Amino acid sequence: MLDKPASALRLRERLLDSERLMEETGCYDGITELTLRNQDPLKFETLHTKLRAYCVSAREMARRISASPGVREVGEMVVAIYTPEGDAIALSNGIMVHVHTMSRFIKWMIKNGYEDNPRIREGDIFANNDAFIGTVQVPDVMDVVPIFHEGTLVGWAGAVCHELEAGGITPGGDVCLAQERFTEGLFVCAEKIGENDEIRRDYVIRCERNLRMPIYWVLDEKAKVASCIDMRESVKQLISEIGLDYWMKVSKEFIEEGRRAQLARTRQLTVPGIYRGHTFYGHVTAGKPGFQLLGDPDWLYNIPIEMEITTDGKITMDFEGTQPWGYHSMNCTPAGMDGGMFVTLTQHMNFEGLVNDGAWMATELKLPHGTWTNPDNEMVATATSWALLLPAYGVFQRLLSRSFVARGFVEEAFVGQVNSPMIEMGGESQYGTPFGMAHFECAAAGSGALAIKDGLDTAYVGWNPESDMGNIEVWEQSMPMVYIGRSIVPNSGGAGKYRGGCSFVSTWLINKTSHLRLHTSEHSSRVFDNAGMCGGYPAPTCQKHRAVRNSNIHELAAKGEPLAHAPGIDPHVSDYERNIGGDHVVVEGPYITSPHKSGDIFSHSYNGGGGYGDVLERDPIKTAWDVENGFLTRQAADQVFGIVLKDDEDGYPIADIDATAERRVAMRKERLARAIPVADWIAKERGRVEKAAFAPEVKKMYASAIKLSSRFTREFSDFWNVHARSIFTPGARP
Amino acid sequence: MTSYSKEVLGDLAAGKLPWPQTRRIMSAYKDDDRFFKMVAVYQDRVAWKDPILLPVSDHLFICQSGDERITRCECGHSFGDYRKNWKLNAAINVRNTEEALREIYPNSDLPDPEWMEIREFICPECGTLHEVEAAAPGYPIVHDFEPDLEGFYREWLGKPLQET
Repeated sequence: MLDKPASALRLRERLLDSERLMEETGCYDGITELTLRNQDPLKFETLHTKLRAYCVSAREMARRISASPGVREVGEMVVAIYTPEGDAIALSNGIMVHVHTMSRFIKWMIKNGYEDNPRIREGDIFANNDAFIGTVQVPDVMDVVPIFHEGTLVGWAGAVCHELEAGGITPGGDVCLAQERFTEGLFVCAEKIGENDEIRRDYVIRCERNLRMPIYWVLDEKAKVASCIDMRESVKQLISEIGLDYWMKVSKEFIEEGRRAQLARTRQLTVPGIYRGHTFYGHVTAGKPGFQLLGDPDWLYNIPIEMEITTDGKITMDFEGTQPWGYHSMNCTPAGMDGGMFVTLTQHMNFEGLVNDGAWMATELKLPHGTWTNPDNEMVATATSWALLLPAYGVFQRLLSRSFVARGFVEEAFVGQVNSPMIEMGGESQYGTPFGMAHFECAAAGSGALAIKDGLDTAYVGWNPESDMGNIEVWEQSMPMVYIGRSIVPNSGGAGKYRGGCSFVSTWLINKTSHLRLHTSEHSSRVFDNAGMCGGYPAPTCQKHRAVRNSNIHELAAKGEPLAHAPGIDPHVSDYERNIGGDHVVVEGPYITSPHKSGDIFSHSYNGGGGYGDVLERDPIKTAWDVENGFLTRQAADQVFGIVLKDDEDGYPIADIDATAERRVAMRKERLARAIPVADWIAKERGRVEKAAFAPEVKKMYASAIKLSSRFTREFSDFWNVHARSIFTPGARP
Repeated sequence: MTSYSKEVLGDLAAGKLPWPQTRRIMSAYKDDDRFFKMVAVYQDRVAWKDPILLPVSDHLFICQSGDERITRCECGHSFGDYRKNWKLNAAINVRNTEEALREIYPNSDLPDPEWMEIREFICPECGTLHEVEAAAPGYPIVHDFEPDLEGFYREWLGKPLQET
C-alpha cells in the first residue's frame, strides 16, 4: 500500500509547506487560531490527556519486555506520538531528550525521499541511532512506525531506548575510546528494519553478530516496536471515534498550543534580558592505552552560554566562543543539542499543560558551525556527547534559575544538573560468557541545590527526570562484580546556604571472571564542571578512581578482619589502602587500563551538584543532621560552613548556636581581610594575561576560541585591555 | 486565581515554609501577583528605603536610588549603575592554589589550579559572598545578568517605569 496522506500533497511537500507556514505566520503550521480548543476546551484537553496516557501506558508495557536493566530498572526509555510531518504531539515520561531528536529522524527520512525508496507503508518499522540524522549518541536507538488510517498516513509512533552495549571499540554504550565515528559501534542509519509489524531476521542477525550483549539491544527493539504498535492502535481507535478531519486538525493545534504555552510560561516566570554563564570541561588521556594521537591528548574546553529572553517570551541560547570539535567521543550534533534543550524545558517550564514539540518551537539555539555543538565534519564521534551536554545545560538551568529568582519564583530556582562519570565494562561474565554493559546506576547523582532547600541526594540526573539508580541485586545479575559498598559521598554537594545534593560511591569486588575490562567515561579531575549559584560553591571535581589489584580481601574475610566499603574521607590515603592489602591504584579519569580479574576491587564515585547562597548562612541544626547522617564531614561543617558542633550525651553532633554565630562573625572579617578590590585583581592579573602565563591547555583553549569567535576575541580583549589575538595566536592572519 | 499572602511568600523565600506547603506551591498554578508581593517581602527585609525594582541574586537588588538605578547589597552597599557588572565593584578572593582550594574541599580530590580557579565575589562592606565563579585562569569575569528592566515593567508587568 502506498502512502496516501490526508492532504493531496505528498509528505515532503507537506513538511516544507508546514515549515513555510511557520515562517510566514510565526505559528505552527500556520495555525493562528486555536479553533478546536475554543470550540470545546474540555474535549480538547481530554483528548491530549488520552494521548499522553497512551504514551505512558505503552512505555510501561514495553519496559517489561526489555531485558536491559537500563530500561527495566532505570527507565531509560521514552515514547511519543507525532504528526505525519514528524512533530511531537504527546510524549511519555522517561528520557524526554529524545522526543525532538526522533522528530528530526522522521523529518530526515521525509526530506530524503523515503516515500519513494524505501517507501513508507503500513506495518513498516524504521530505526536510527545516527546522531547526524537525529539522536544524541550511538546507544540511543530509536524506532518509529507510521500510523495509517484507512490508507492515509496520519502520524507516527516512536520509541527510544538507551542501549547498554553498542558494539564499539570499548564495551558499553558510551564508547569512551571512540575518536571517530568508525569506532563508535553498530550504526543504524534511518533504516527500514521491519515490515508488517515484524523486525527483519537479517537485521537481528546483524545485531547479534556485532554487539557484545545483543540480548539487550534486540529485546529493546521488540519492546520499542511493541510500544509503537500499542500507541498506533490506540490512535487508530481514537480516530475512529473522533473522525480523521478532527484528528488532523487537533493534533496540530496541540502543538501550536504547546508553543504558545511555552511563550506564556516564559513571560510568567522569567524576566527579559541577557543572561550569561559558563562551564569548563577537561580531558586527560596522555599516556593512556588505546588513545590514538589524532589531536591533543589533554585539553580544556570552555562552554560560554549567552541566553536572551525577549519580551515576546522567546528564549535563545547562543554558544558562541566555545571550542572546536575534536577527535574524541564528546562531540554533539544539533539534534543532541536540541535534545538537551527540550528535556531541560520540560522539567523547568512545562510542568503543567501541554508538553510537546511546541515548547521547542518557542526557543532557538545558536550553535556555531565547526564547534563541538555543531561539527562541520560528520565523521566525528558523538558517543559520549553527554559529557559536554550535561555541563552546558547545567549552565542553562542556572541562567533560567536566575530569571526565576528575579521574578520572585524562588521555589523554581535550581542550580542544575550534574555532570557525572559512568562506568562501562565487558569481557568474560560471571557465567563464563562474553558480555558488555554500561552500568547505569549513574542515573541518580546528586542535584544542584534549590534557592530554598538543599539539592536532591542520589536522586537526579538531567537527562531523565525519573531518576533511579536501580537495585544492587539486579546489577549483580548482569556483571561479574558484587557490591561490597554503596554509600553517600560526604561533602559531594557544593557548599552553600543550601548545599548541592550528595552523590554516592560504589565499591565492587570483581568476582568469577578472569577478564573484566572496566572503563569510565571521559571525566578528568582537572576542573569544576558543576557550578554553584548566588554565592554557592561548585560541587567537588570528579573523584579519582581507586582500585586494588590482587587484593587479600578473601583472606581478610576468612579471618573476620575489617574490610573497606568506601574510600573514606582522607583524600590522601583511602580506607582501601588502610585496610586492604594488594596493589593499590589511584587513577584520574578516564579509567582505561588492563583487564581486572577475580579478587580485584574497584570503586567509582559519582558527582554531586552545586550549592546555592552564602555558606555562612547555612542552618547549623540542619548541618548537625548532615554530619550525623554522613552528608557532610565535621571538618567541612567547621572550616567551610563555620558551624561549631558539639556532642550530645549519646555522642551525636549538635550545633552550638552561640559559638557558631561568634565563629561566623570572625570568618566574615577574615574573608574581608583576605579579599582585594576586583579592580586591583584585574590590574595584577592583566600582566599574567599579557604574558599568556598559563598552562598549555589553557593557552590552547584561548587560541581556539579566538580563532573561532570574533565576539569572544573582542570581549576578552576589552575585558583585559589587551590584544587577545596577538597574545594567543601570534602570526595568525586576522 | 492562585495567590499567597506576603507572610507565606516571606517564609518561602527564607526557606522556612514547611515542605508539604512548599511542595503544594511548586505543584500549583503559579500566582500572577507574585512579583510585587515578593518585592514587598524583600523591601521589608532591607534596612534602606530605595524602592527595589528587581532582585538579581540572594542578597542583591536593583533599586531606584534618586535618579539612578543601582545594584545594591542587602546591607546597603552600592555596586553602582545596574547596567554595569556589579562584580567589578566587589571585593574578590581567588583560590588558585591547592592549599586555598583545600579549605573549601577538605575531604575531596581537587581540580588542577593551573586549569581552574575559584573566584569569590564579596560585598566589601558586609562580607556577604554574593557569587562564586569557577573559571580557567585568565577567563574574563562574567556579567551574569543584564535585565531588560524597562521592557519588563512596560510590557510584562504593565507598569512602565518612570523615566530617569
